[in-house]
Formats: sequence, C-alpha cells, structure tokens
Amino acid sequence: MKSIQPVVSKMLVSSINKERISHAYLLHGQRGTGKKYLAILLAKSIFCKHQERAEPCNTCRDCQRIDSGNHPDFHWIEPDGASIKKEQILHLQKEFTYTGMESNRKVYIVSDAEKMTTNASNRLLKFLEEPSMDTTAILLTENSQAILPTIQSRCQLISLRPLNNKQLIEKLEQEGLTEANAKIFAAVTNDLNEALEKSKDEWFANARKIVVQLVEMLQTNPNEVLLFIHTQWMPHFKERPQAQQGLDLLLLWFKDMVYYHIDQKEQMVFSYHYDKIEKAAMHWSKKHATDNLSHIMDAKRKLEQNVHPQLVMEQLTLHFQR
Amino acid sequence: MKIIMNRDRLIESVQHVMKAISQKTTIPILTGIKIEATETQVKLTGSDSDITIEAVIPKEEEGIILIDEIVPGSIVLHAKYFPEIIRKLPNEMVEIESDDKLQLSIRSGHAEFHLNGQDAEEYPHLPLLQSDSSFSLPNDLLKNMIRQTVFAVSTSETRPILTGVNIKVEDDHLHFIATDSHRLAARKIPLEVDQANLSFSQVVIPGKSLNELNKILEDTDEKIEIQVGENQIAFQAEHLYFVTRLLEGKYPETSRLIPDQSKTIIHADTKTLLQSVDRASLLARESQNNVVRLETKGNEVVEITSNSPEIGKVEEEITIKGMEGEDLKISFSSKYMIDALKIMESDQVKIEFTGAMRPFIIKPVDNDQILQLILPVRTY
Repeated sequence: MKSIQPVVSKMLVSSINKERISHAYLLHGQRGTGKKYLAILLAKSIFCKHQERAEPCNTCRDCQRIDSGNHPDFHWIEPDGASIKKEQILHLQKEFTYTGMESNRKVYIVSDAEKMTTNASNRLLKFLEEPSMDTTAILLTENSQAILPTIQSRCQLISLRPLNNKQLIEKLEQEGLTEANAKIFAAVTNDLNEALEKSKDEWFANARKIVVQLVEMLQTNPNEVLLFIHTQWMPHFKERPQAQQGLDLLLLWFKDMVYYHIDQKEQMVFSYHYDKIEKAAMHWSKKHATDNLSHIMDAKRKLEQNVHPQLVMEQLTLHFQR
Repeated sequence: MKIIMNRDRLIESVQHVMKAISQKTTIPILTGIKIEATETQVKLTGSDSDITIEAVIPKEEEGIILIDEIVPGSIVLHAKYFPEIIRKLPNEMVEIESDDKLQLSIRSGHAEFHLNGQDAEEYPHLPLLQSDSSFSLPNDLLKNMIRQTVFAVSTSETRPILTGVNIKVEDDHLHFIATDSHRLAARKIPLEVDQANLSFSQVVIPGKSLNELNKILEDTDEKIEIQVGENQIAFQAEHLYFVTRLLEGKYPETSRLIPDQSKTIIHADTKTLLQSVDRASLLARESQNNVVRLETKGNEVVEITSNSPEIGKVEEEITIKGMEGEDLKISFSSKYMIDALKIMESDQVKIEFTGAMRPFIIKPVDNDQILQLILPVRTY
C-alpha cells in the first residue's frame, strides 16, 4: 500500500499511532486506487490487538473476521441494486443506538457512497453530526462531488492519488505485452489484473477493431455509418457496461487526435495506428475533435440515465458528422 | 468433537437458543448455532447480535447421565437445518461428530446426515462479565417487574434511548423506569444485598430484549443471577444464559417529573375503574388519542365520559371509595389508563391529581412500589 499511496498511508499510520483517528473519513479516488483495501486495513488496525506500528497482524481472530464479514462491531454497507437505500442506513442507525458487542469501538464502511439516495444520505448525516464515542465512519467514493456537501464537510477528506500510469505500463510490459498494447490497457483501467485479463479477452480485441472501423467509416463513407452502428456496433456492445467501454475507447481515440494537434505525440494511446490518427486529424480540426470529446461524454451520461443505447449512438454519430 | 446424548434434552436446548436467532441478520455467521463441547458440558449459543442466548447441557444432572460421551471441540451449524434434523431423527439417542475439515455427521438409528459447518472461531464471543456487579432476583419477581414497565417504552426511533427500560440502584432500591414521554411506568423493590457490592449506577436495556427475556423465563420462584457489565447485561438461570446489549446514551432524569404534592386524591376500586374506562374507550377514537374524560361529582361519585360526534357518546357514573381536595375535570388517553390499571397488583388504587393540565399519578393504596404517571390530553 505504501508504494501506491505513500502520502495517504503515512498520514493514516501517524494518526493511528497518535491515537487520533477521526470520526469520519471520506476516501476519494479513481477505480483501482485501493480504496477498499485501505478502508479494510484501517478497520483492522482499529480492531486488531496485535498491531505493530499501525500494521494489523492479519492473523488474529479480529482481522480474520473482518475479512470474512463476521465481525459483530464492523459493518459494511454497499449498494443494494443501483443505490444505497434508506433501510440499509436505518439498520445502521439502529445498530448504533446499542452498545458494542465485543468492544467499545464500532466501524462502518459505506462503499460507493455517491450511490446513496437522498433519503439515505440525510439519515447518515444525522449520525455523522452527532458521532457517539469511538465510532469511525469510512465512506468510499469515486466522485466526491456527488456527495452531499453537508456530508463532505463532516468528514476528513482523503484523496487517493491516481495510479501512476507509467508504473502500470512498465509492469504490463514486464508481463509480455507490447508497448503499444500496454499503453491502451493502462488507459482503460487502473488495475493490473484487470488489464491483463482484458489483454487476453477476445471481445475486447474485437471492440478495438470496431472502434477503429467506425472512425474510418465516419471519414470515408458517412452515409453508411448508421447502418454500421446497427449491424456491427450494437450487436457487439450489447450490455450497458460494454457500451460504456466502447465509448471509452472512442474517447481515447479522439483524445489522441487532440494530442496530435497540440503536438504531444508521446501521449498518444493508439500509437500503432499513428497513420490513421494522422489521417483523421486532417478530417477533424482541433476544435472539432474537442467538441466531439464533449459529445462522447454527453453520450456516456445519457447511457447512465437509461437512454436507449442505439439512440445514443445514432445521435452521437450524427454529431460527429456535423 | 464428538457427542452422544439423549435427543429430547438436545431439542429442548436448541429450541431455547433458536429464539435468539434471526434470519435477517447482516453478519453471516449469526445464521448459525454454535455448539461447544467441553469435558463436563455441551453449550449451545444463538445470537442476533442484540441478544445472545446460551443453553448448557451438563454431562450429568442429579445423578442422571445426560450425555454418554463427550470429546471436546466446537463448530457452528446452520440454524435452519440443524434443529429440523434433530427433531426428525428416528432414535432416542443421537451421535454428533465433527472432523477438522468442519464437516459434521449426525447419526441416529440407521439415519446419517452430513452437514457443512463453519469455524467457531468466527463466532462473536461474549465478554466475561465481572461478578462484582451482580445481584439476584426470583424469576417471577423479575418477570413481574418487566411486565409492569416494559409496555411503556417508546416505539418510535426518534429518541432511541427511550426504547429501553432504565434500571438503576438508588436509596437501597432497585428501580425499573420506562417512559415514552407521554406516560411513565416505574417499579422499585428494596435490595437485599449491600449496595456497596453493586458497581453500576444505571443501565438502559432495550425493551425488545426484555420482552424476549420475559418469554423465556419460567414463572417460578427460582433465583436468577443478574450481572451488569459495561456494554452488556447478563441474566443467568440454571441452564440458560441470556445476554443483551445495552442502549447507548444517557437516560433522561425522571424524578423531577413526578409531582410531590396533589390537589385532588381519589381512592377507587381498581377493577371497577378499569372496566368503566374500558367501556368508555369503545367510543373513543384512536385518531384522537382515545380520549376519555373524568369528572368528579361530589358524594364519592365520578363520571367517566367519552364523546365522538360522528359515532355517539357514553356516560357512566361510578362510586369511589373516597375523595379529598378540589373538584376536577380531566381528559386522558384511555389506552394509557387501561395499561396502567392492568398491572396494579392491589384491588384499590390511589390517583393523585394536580390540576387538569398537570400529569397525574396512579399508585396502589398500600405501598408505593408501583408508580404510573400519565399526561392528560388538552381538550376544549
């Protein structure tokens, strides 16, 4: 953990050593930056009786039961379906009117805290405001701006540093990927294992091909783009997360184009398609490309709001051709 | 672990323990029963994290051998299947054996079950309570005290501390107090042991746990040992150990609420008054707090009335045993009044009023161990 998040781990370790643990933390960081790992580590340090300089032992009863979710004074809340419901917080609230089961300490972790419904957030706020003794709340989120400002202001905000891309690329290269591929996977995900998995995934390879085809078609044969969407894109990106990933790839492609325009070619992700990007850059000006980036972001948002994927894609391609 | 024992005794203990287990718990291990065997006894544990019940089966009791063979060990079994299996076994004797891979086999007659268990290390362990803050009460007295106070706890979660019964030691008396801020029920008994022995001053036990305890305790005059810890309170009967978590927070000071002087005192027959209020409440509507009205008529007569314009009205005059002080008209919730009168142990009650807008108290005539306080309802 120290190697990935040096600043944050140093901060937490010293606060544990000085026994000055705050009553609420808001851990904020992108996917794969180790939020969950850090939160569990913190919980273990709080409960573990054999910790050495803030490092839990990982072998005692308390540590093991935190791992298996059986510790009676440790609560883990995560979204039930699409959001964290009021009832889940209500249960937590009831739990906190009681004294501890085994110890005087209580720790609860709310994962994906931005997914709390308004009702749930307001309930949570109630006991963030009046923390009982020795209770520690750890909220995890990818988007701290989506959390009620009133909650934010009651937590100690800890921002996890985004992973160092270069490190990941190097690691991927060590695993036997070519430099060009390593760049793409490092851009798509922050997690080494996920990246390796993707590199073996046939679906993902096809997805890359389709994205490149789409961009080419937009330049050479705009009339048949809608047909292409219907026959190739939609059947491949069937599920919503898949469609999001398709758009992510498209986003990277247009970002490369902007990099080409501002002459930062070493940043480019699709470096092995250099000639194609060059050609595309002739087609779309820098302004066009940045506009398109915002259109793609729009499309991603709409997908999240349950707009029909096909309509989203059709609208997006029409925007591209403008 | 290996146990060979009589099935009936096991069923009985399992049933006690099952009362604590809830399927809705968020902690996965609590869906199970813990079985722990030592050289001299077998202990079953069930818990829903609020309350924990342990049942002990000794190896032999009063010369009767209950368990034929014990090899020490422990395991956690799923509470959905284990009791059903034990209940439906063909033979009087049952053999339970577990191996080190958490596999359990249950044999009885020619039937043999194999169950997957969980590691007993994962199960929450109860902190041992120190015994210097313990005292004992007869079962039936404790049951009575619970019954006489627990109905008055608050059901709303807005003030969680009021969902419990406050137990405290004061002036050599043990007090049970419950209130939902509209009424208050208090019961006290003199303590036999020296107060110096008791190191706690007050705790708040969740009303739900007390209701559960009341169901489990048998109505006998056997003594039950009560131990108060920092986070928990334990009730130890002969083969049963009941532990509940306490409510966190400070219980409001209630002694100031009880008026110490009164303007009107009524002595009445408990049963007559109860039945009369009960009749009047038939026409009182729940949406308006079941209001009934009491009016003194002089000559040792009070009138109980209730009036709901769209339903009808009821009037009843009852004779009382005596009255002192000013005349009075007062309205109150019939539900609270019925609850309070039902738990009075004596035939005669004394009601002390301090005006139509002030709370009034109900006590038995002959002692002041039971006290019920009710807030009147403002009517126009």
